[in-house]
Amino acid sequence: MKPKAATVLVAALILLVIASFSLFTVDQRQNALVLQLGEIVSIKTQPGLYLKAPLVQNVIFVDRRVRTLDTPDSDLIITAEKINMLVDSFVKWRVADARQYYVSVRGDEKNAEARLLQLVRDGLRAEFNKRTVDDVVSGQREQVMESLRANVDREARALGIQVVDVRLKRVDYSEKVADSVYEQMRQERVRVANERRSTGAAEREKIQADADKQRQIIISEAYRDAQRIKGEGDAKAAAIYAQAYSLNPEFYAFYRSLDAYKESFKNRSDILVLDPNSEFFKYFKNPGRGGK
Amino acid sequence: MAWNDPDWGRKSSGGPPDLDELWRNFNAKLNRMFGGKGGNRPPAGEAGQPGFRGAPLLIVLILAIWLGSGFYIVNARERGVVLRFGKFVELTMPGPRWHMPYPIETVEIVDVEGNRVTEIGYRQSVQNRQPHEATMLTGDKSIVNVLFAVQYRVTDPQQFLFNNQIGDDQAYVRQIAESAMREVVGRTKIDSVLYESTQVANKAGELIQQMLERYQSGITVQNVTISQVQPPEQVQAAFDDANRADQDRKRMRSEGEAYANDVIPKAKGTAARLLQEAEGYRQSVIANAEGDAARFRALVAEYNKAPAVTRDRLYLEAMQQILSNTTKIVVDQKSGTSLLYLPLDKLMQHTTPEAASMPQPKPAATPDAPRAGADEARMRDLLRNREGR
Repeated sequence: MKPKAATVLVAALILLVIASFSLFTVDQRQNALVLQLGEIVSIKTQPGLYLKAPLVQNVIFVDRRVRTLDTPDSDLIITAEKINMLVDSFVKWRVADARQYYVSVRGDEKNAEARLLQLVRDGLRAEFNKRTVDDVVSGQREQVMESLRANVDREARALGIQVVDVRLKRVDYSEKVADSVYEQMRQERVRVANERRSTGAAEREKIQADADKQRQIIISEAYRDAQRIKGEGDAKAAAIYAQAYSLNPEFYAFYRSLDAYKESFKNRSDILVLDPNSEFFKYFKNPGRGGK
Repeated sequence: MAWNDPDWGRKSSGGPPDLDELWRNFNAKLNRMFGGKGGNRPPAGEAGQPGFRGAPLLIVLILAIWLGSGFYIVNARERGVVLRFGKFVELTMPGPRWHMPYPIETVEIVDVEGNRVTEIGYRQSVQNRQPHEATMLTGDKSIVNVLFAVQYRVTDPQQFLFNNQIGDDQAYVRQIAESAMREVVGRTKIDSVLYESTQVANKAGELIQQMLERYQSGITVQNVTISQVQPPEQVQAAFDDANRADQDRKRMRSEGEAYANDVIPKAKGTAARLLQEAEGYRQSVIANAEGDAARFRALVAEYNKAPAVTRDRLYLEAMQQILSNTTKIVVDQKSGTSLLYLPLDKLMQHTTPEAASMPQPKPAATPDAPRAGADEARMRDLLRNREGR
């Protein structure tokens, strides 16, 4: 039993070693290239367990997933109106044809990225040169990206690469231009501020003027109504007086005259120069004889 | 998280990249099973002595360990993705699980419940800025700083693992978010970016979502929040002043309204006063008239009874009243030929009783003098008042 078990153990170990040299797994995320002395013998695109000849064949795995290539820093790119823009972008790409990819970039990722980067830069220049700042920033941003994608994709097919997407990130003014932009922004704000303040002043003026107008109207109308009311009072009073005094107009004149005299002469400073022959002094000199 | 965070892109050449990863996991599991002792050393103490059942036991033991390496635990917020010979076979739910051991099956675990966040334009706090990410051009060729954060979740672990080389998912989403936000801001005027940032955030969120779906990344945007949006420092002062100007405009407007609110009620008050006074005047004039009329009627009634007597009485009373209060000079002109000289100004002086009784002006030191003066003044006032009536 003992040697048997040991034998099994040893055999299993040997088997494992052989298997590890002649079996390989291909992940869903990869394609595998089987190379024999540097020649590509076969390509495994489906996941699973595969056999290879041990020692003489080796396997290269190529990732098929979409990868991102980010331009390391912004490039200065000139637009149609000869303005320098700082442009930053990234590329989403994947290996479409593992064989071609491996052959053209010799399996070196760096190589692929450098080539792709060059394509994107050239494409960017071409797109920006025929467009204005307005177009690349707002108006035709999507068209720029789409036509970049299409162009880079066409070129990159030769490398076995499919370009899924090219996206612009930064599209900014360079430092020199930025200063003049700040100046413009400042002026625009100054304009807005002035406009707001003068609008405010005008509104205030308008409201106050309107208030003054209303005040005048209110007071004048009140004056009008007040005068009418007073007039009514005067008229009513006049009617009452007339009604009463017409009972005896002559006596009224007498009575009212006396009142007027009393009102007119009541101060020491009023000096009356009197003739003793007047009606009042009838008895002053001749007591006893009434009348003249 | 370490399991589904492989750095594929960097380890290009050198065999299947996940081999050593899994080997490490395997070792770690062994460690766990043997309470942290060395991974590959057989634990049995009598391994050195070739025992009677040593080899079979060893085989069984190795088999058991190998099979045991297939156990794994999926936490509540995770999903396990099982691959058999590199091909996806199942998505496992939370709980203790078992997969056929390496190299037949492998598992990768993805966090799907947790909200993840990536910040653009800053890290952790808005003080820690990343100016090159935050500065953006607007549609009206102005520059604005936008600091925002994207919250997202992995909703499809399969897509998340198989379609993209994601690596650091925060950086992955950040890149897409930055591109999307710049596109939205590039289409928008600066005022809208500054003062209607919620809409900008929503649009950017939609765009980010579209891109994530186009790349089939298995990631879903939860929401996009703008943490800070500002004009650049260089023009901050001008923007502040424009905002102050807006305040000023409102202030002036309300000043105008305050004036109106002051003036118009006062005018209404004045109007009411005028009307009340007029009404008062009307009633008083009528009342006076009625009073005078009643008095006269009463008198007339009596007068009609004895006209002559009443007339004389009234006349004499009136004269008495007048003459007792005035200065009188009786001039009896017999012939009327001689010219009468009346020094009126002298007489006027004598009419004021004080002036008549007052001798030469006294020295001002006497206490009477001012009082006399005051009296005089009072008199004059009285006179004036009476004249006024």
